[in-house]
Amino acid sequence: MPIEVQIPTPLRPQTDGQDTIAATGATVQAVLADVIAKFPALKERLFDEAGQPRRFINLFINDEDIRFLDGMETAVKDGDSLAIIPAVAGG
Amino acid sequence: MEEEMERYSRQMRFHGIGEAGQKKLLASRITLCGCGALGTVLANTLVRAGVGFVRIIDRDFIENHNLQRQVLFDEDDVAAGIPKAEAAARKLRRVNSEITIESIVTDIDHTNILDFVKDVDLVLDGTDNFEVRYLVNDAAIKLNKPWVYGGAIGSVGQTMTIIPGLTPCLRCVVESSPPPGMAATCETAGVLSPTINIIASLQATEALKILSGHMEAINRELIYVDVWDNEFRRFKISKLKDKVDCPCCKHHNFEWLEGKMGAHTTSLCGRNAVQVAHRTDSQLNFVTLADVLQGVTEGEVTHNKFMLRFKADGHDFTVFPDGRAIIKGTHDIDRAKTLYAKFIGH
Repeated sequence: MPIEVQIPTPLRPQTDGQDTIAATGATVQAVLADVIAKFPALKERLFDEAGQPRRFINLFINDEDIRFLDGMETAVKDGDSLAIIPAVAGG
Repeated sequence: MEEEMERYSRQMRFHGIGEAGQKKLLASRITLCGCGALGTVLANTLVRAGVGFVRIIDRDFIENHNLQRQVLFDEDDVAAGIPKAEAAARKLRRVNSEITIESIVTDIDHTNILDFVKDVDLVLDGTDNFEVRYLVNDAAIKLNKPWVYGGAIGSVGQTMTIIPGLTPCLRCVVESSPPPGMAATCETAGVLSPTINIIASLQATEALKILSGHMEAINRELIYVDVWDNEFRRFKISKLKDKVDCPCCKHHNFEWLEGKMGAHTTSLCGRNAVQVAHRTDSQLNFVTLADVLQGVTEGEVTHNKFMLRFKADGHDFTVFPDGRAIIKGTHDIDRAKTLYAKFIGH
């Protein structure tokens, strides 16, 4: 069973409208690499020029912020969910 | 029950408030930063709830496209050209005359934010941009005041409650704001009124908990709602406190408050418009300015005591007494600065 990667509404133009993507990998980094291999347009949205995750986007494994876990090296297992949550500015 | 408390009777019957909680609300002071979509819902709810002092700050004026979601305004306000803070205060004084409502028409920046925060118990976020939110965050951490973040675009909204020393702050969670073009805006994604109402109502509930003395009941996580996709989630962020090497709440390095971050000229969310902030030592004289502008504008120059309006070079200008201007018809900050210099001067 793969990892379920949840794509927020603002990033769905980069995933052909898909709201979840099944991906594989042993770490958050590897899972996101798999997602980007499937949808290359996501790369610029998720990572900055230095290859770091953009600082206004938070990543959650099973609703836990990965910065509290092991960051991009956080281990994932089949059935986990990875949520990509950009900060919301409007109001 | 005392007679003046009768209007709050249904709220006091709720176990979490009671008469003691209501008295605390009546003795409380809040500052509301921004009175647009989130802000009007927040102001409406908390004035009715009997928060004793409500300061409403907003830099903007009311337009027709605001009426879809900015619940305190009506068509008469648009026609009269009244600023949002003032229109909201006038309406809410008729709702609850027993509390104090202060309206301030200005741009919040690093020179004035401490004054707006220092004499209140709580700050509420009704803004549409991270520049002001980071300023509020710096000021709140520095002065040890709680504040409640809320944001909404399209069908998606977020909120979190920041209690200095107890929860992560905004910069622990959102380390930096989205760069231009990288995130959806109200203009590109639109915004649904229910998204606004839900997020602002959650913010207002947090305010009621904090002000009535129920800190134990606050939300310590990041609430995320997508009203179109039927998603209601709480992402766990409370453990981030002290885990993140936060420049603000850990190191007390208040970069926004010190004016090192942020610009004074900003493109406005959801609008083809730029605000140019040119601080002046004295208030602008609209009569003089209107005289100077006659003949160079397209059509008439109009003004009341709150704003002066004219059209020139295909752009609509709204100028405020403190020297600010909102220039419609462009996203380009440099172009806006040029237009400002061309028609308003300084």
